[in-house]
Amino acid sequence: MAEITLVAEPGRRTGSAESRRLRASGRIPAVVYGHGSDGISVSVDGRDLRHALSGEAGLNQLLELKVGSDTHLAMARVLQRHPVRHTVLHVDFQIVRRDEVVSAEVPIVLTGEAKAVATEGGILEHPLTALTVHATPARIPSGIEVDISSLTIGDGIRVGDLKLPPGVTTDTPDDEIVVIAQVSRAAQALEEIEAEEGAAEAEGKAEEGAAGGAEEAGGEGEGGAAAEPGSPEA
Amino acid sequence: MLMPRKVKHRKVQRGRLTGQAKGGTTVNFGDYGIQALEPGWITARQIEAARIAMTRHVRRGGKVWIRVFPDKPVTAKPAETRMGSGKGNPEFWVAVVKPGRVLFELGGVHETLARAALERAIQKLPIKARVVVRAHQEEVEVS
Repeated sequence: MAEITLVAEPGRRTGSAESRRLRASGRIPAVVYGHGSDGISVSVDGRDLRHALSGEAGLNQLLELKVGSDTHLAMARVLQRHPVRHTVLHVDFQIVRRDEVVSAEVPIVLTGEAKAVATEGGILEHPLTALTVHATPARIPSGIEVDISSLTIGDGIRVGDLKLPPGVTTDTPDDEIVVIAQVSRAAQALEEIEAEEGAAEAEGKAEEGAAGGAEEAGGEGEGGAAAEPGSPEA
Repeated sequence: MLMPRKVKHRKVQRGRLTGQAKGGTTVNFGDYGIQALEPGWITARQIEAARIAMTRHVRRGGKVWIRVFPDKPVTAKPAETRMGSGKGNPEFWVAVVKPGRVLFELGGVHETLARAALERAIQKLPIKARVVVRAHQEEVEVS
């Protein structure tokens, strides 16, 4: 993984108002820490940051961070985002060494179309979309591909089934499910709703029948008995 | 309809709806979601109506997640009652929602169908909301 150079300007003023002004001018407040160094408050250009973290490696891109006269090898660790606009508000850069093992979240990419979806009308549940891996910065993969084309309903792929690249390990338990093919619950829910509605309609008709019967029979109609099975108590 | 099984206090004060959601702002389970753009109270009935609208439109396939729970009781006094005599009776339950909160998620269907289903669900809600896509969440956007 080749590093991308990112220039960070040190000596920014801290605080919410100053940070807001900084963002308005197109810069993103950030902090650089790691390997025993005190945290340095910096700011980076928004466009440069987007360019640096939008490559193949995504947020795990190895960066050559220029802070004043110093250059650090760093990775973006925490991106704070706006809850509605989802824009980046603040970035944590962690200084790393080439030979040290670091942890990173790597996306799990599904390839192919599962048999369960294509022919059996099921759905895929994908509870684990990213895996925390441990590797040296250069060995962190951009994604872990999983072939799901042979999955039928009831089949699942677990963490233990994943093929991790050499030099990459994970702490996630082997029995944790990555993807599983299931019967569609929406279809079941729809059946339940329709059944409820059917019961309600039947009840309504029975009540109408009961009222009509009562009118015809002068208040002691046979419809009264007919209403009983459809009522909730029955 | 959704409601708590038991509560510590039967009646609570209204509270304030200031600020933005602190958590639950990303799509975590499905592929698409509905994100609130305004603060408001969503009643259990509205949550159920939105869920039914979504499920009906999707028909086969897909899975729906409800990410909010109506745990706040709302009281009301009977009609034509004089003021006083204490707080009214609990009438319904609401979920307190602030901007940014993901209300529902949908997975296992194609984007066109998911968007149409979620738009229908949004029509059942008392606040402005939008459809969000999980795949776009990791993108680095700057203002």
